[in-house]
Amino acid sequence: MAKAKAVDNLGGGNHLLTLEVPGAPFSALGRFARLRAWPARGLGPGTLLDRPFSIHLTGPRELSFFIRQVGPATSLLASLSPGTPVRFIGPLGRGLDDLDPNFAAKSWYLVAGGAGLGPMPSIMAALGPRAKLFYGERSHKTQPDTGYLADLELYAPKAELVTATEDGSGYGQKGLVTVPLTECLKVQPRPIVACGPTPMLAALARLANQYSVPYFACVEARMACGLGVCLSCSLPKLDGTNFRVCREGPMVDGLAIDWDNVHT
Amino acid sequence: MPKNAKKPQASPDLSVDIGPLKLKNPVLAASGVFGYGLELQGFCPPEALGAVITKGLSLTPWPGNPGPRIVESGFGLINAIGLENVGLDAFLENSLGPLKRAGAVVGANVLGRSPEDYVELTSRLAQSQVDFIELNVSCPNLRHPGGLSFGSDPKLLASITKDCVKAAGDKPIVTKLPPLVTDIVALAKIAEDNGATAVSLINSLPALSIDLDTRRANLAVGPGGLSGPPIKPLALRQVALCARALSIPVIGLGGIMDYRDALEFIVAGATAVQIGTGILVDPGLPIRLIGDVYHWLGENGLADLGQIRGSLKL
Repeated sequence: MAKAKAVDNLGGGNHLLTLEVPGAPFSALGRFARLRAWPARGLGPGTLLDRPFSIHLTGPRELSFFIRQVGPATSLLASLSPGTPVRFIGPLGRGLDDLDPNFAAKSWYLVAGGAGLGPMPSIMAALGPRAKLFYGERSHKTQPDTGYLADLELYAPKAELVTATEDGSGYGQKGLVTVPLTECLKVQPRPIVACGPTPMLAALARLANQYSVPYFACVEARMACGLGVCLSCSLPKLDGTNFRVCREGPMVDGLAIDWDNVHT
Repeated sequence: MPKNAKKPQASPDLSVDIGPLKLKNPVLAASGVFGYGLELQGFCPPEALGAVITKGLSLTPWPGNPGPRIVESGFGLINAIGLENVGLDAFLENSLGPLKRAGAVVGANVLGRSPEDYVELTSRLAQSQVDFIELNVSCPNLRHPGGLSFGSDPKLLASITKDCVKAAGDKPIVTKLPPLVTDIVALAKIAEDNGATAVSLINSLPALSIDLDTRRANLAVGPGGLSGPPIKPLALRQVALCARALSIPVIGLGGIMDYRDALEFIVAGATAVQIGTGILVDPGLPIRLIGDVYHWLGENGLADLGQIRGSLKL
């Protein structure tokens, strides 16, 4: 059991939920946790199950989560008062260090689409100046305040940051983040680690193949258990087998996934 | 505590009999929420339960449905996992041994595309260490070419149950019944008349969730099976009807989220209960629930579940 410590409104419908968690810090790097702050039967429609969230940052006895309000469960989590008990089951799944034990010695392109920003700060913190983050949103409506992005620099000094909105209505560049990413790949190929919507993750697999760079994707899927039993999050690989996002992921080799048949 | 409560009972007996099977308590993990038995050990040791029932097993591995496979709807959950499973061989090789060594009572849930599949699965399991076999003839995600679940067709239900009972040797057969039928008692009696040791009900209900904006179903394959708290009242009624009409044990399930829910099924006449969606919501639920049932019986001066089983006043 954990306790809510703080909820910071980041703007754009995004909140940073900080929990007091005995046993933290944990290695995050894409790993996630199940959270719930409501009774077993739910508080209303759409609050039966816990919700899975990437661990955002981890510190002594605390963890934070980037929570975008999209429905009743995320709204409940975004409105918690400090001290409220929160059920925490985690950390769960595999992180970047499981896939590449030497990841911290390399320079990476990090790509985040929308709420896929969730797992990036812990990776940035591990990489510091070896991280260049491309962070895209559809429009200004879901962009967090720039103050939040400035805060990220505290955790990842000298990390580079490129922001964009698809429609150009927010801060940063106009268009998809894959455009500036492609320019960088042309000049300086680096491995990619990404989290975001499936079309973005699929496009990055094509880019990684084109520029012959390793590619790790932190995959999202609806989950009921997060513990490997319900198979709600099972997705197809190119070798014809399935993998469970909760157990064999969420961080996976993005070049091994059958993106054409991933519909989350 | 009821007004007519007796003095507190020091150590109530939670054990139940399902035919020849002696279970230490009446709480079973339902098929599909407990993997192959070992995955949730850290939350719920399989040997602490009355029994664990495996994810539905087919003769060969099945890939399941495309995603999304689940959606919450109202106060319940709709799934269309599509019966993805590792297949019988992988279960026998990797999971059954450790489960038995841990001391778990194991039920193998089986499913197939034809009646012959069920019989072959059963005969192979008859040679294994599993303690019983549950025939999944009622999953809303499993249809025979006629469009119904096998269990909704009285003739198929009769022949599958009969042939599997024969193939099972001395292993008990539990037939898991479909809930959305005109006459559940008639189907339950068919299972009984054809030699089933027990029936389990209810499976999830065929259901649909729609996204108004896109006018598409919220699950990739369209419909799925509804489970969780909304189906408990229907399950209680079906269990009560079957328990009165049958002389074999009825195993009740559907929306059990705490010990009171579980005890309501016992009052309706169930011999034991299965927990499904409740384990997804809280993997530690069955262990807590067993403790809570024990305390409730003790506080109410009851020596065992037999004192409330089927005590529903109508």
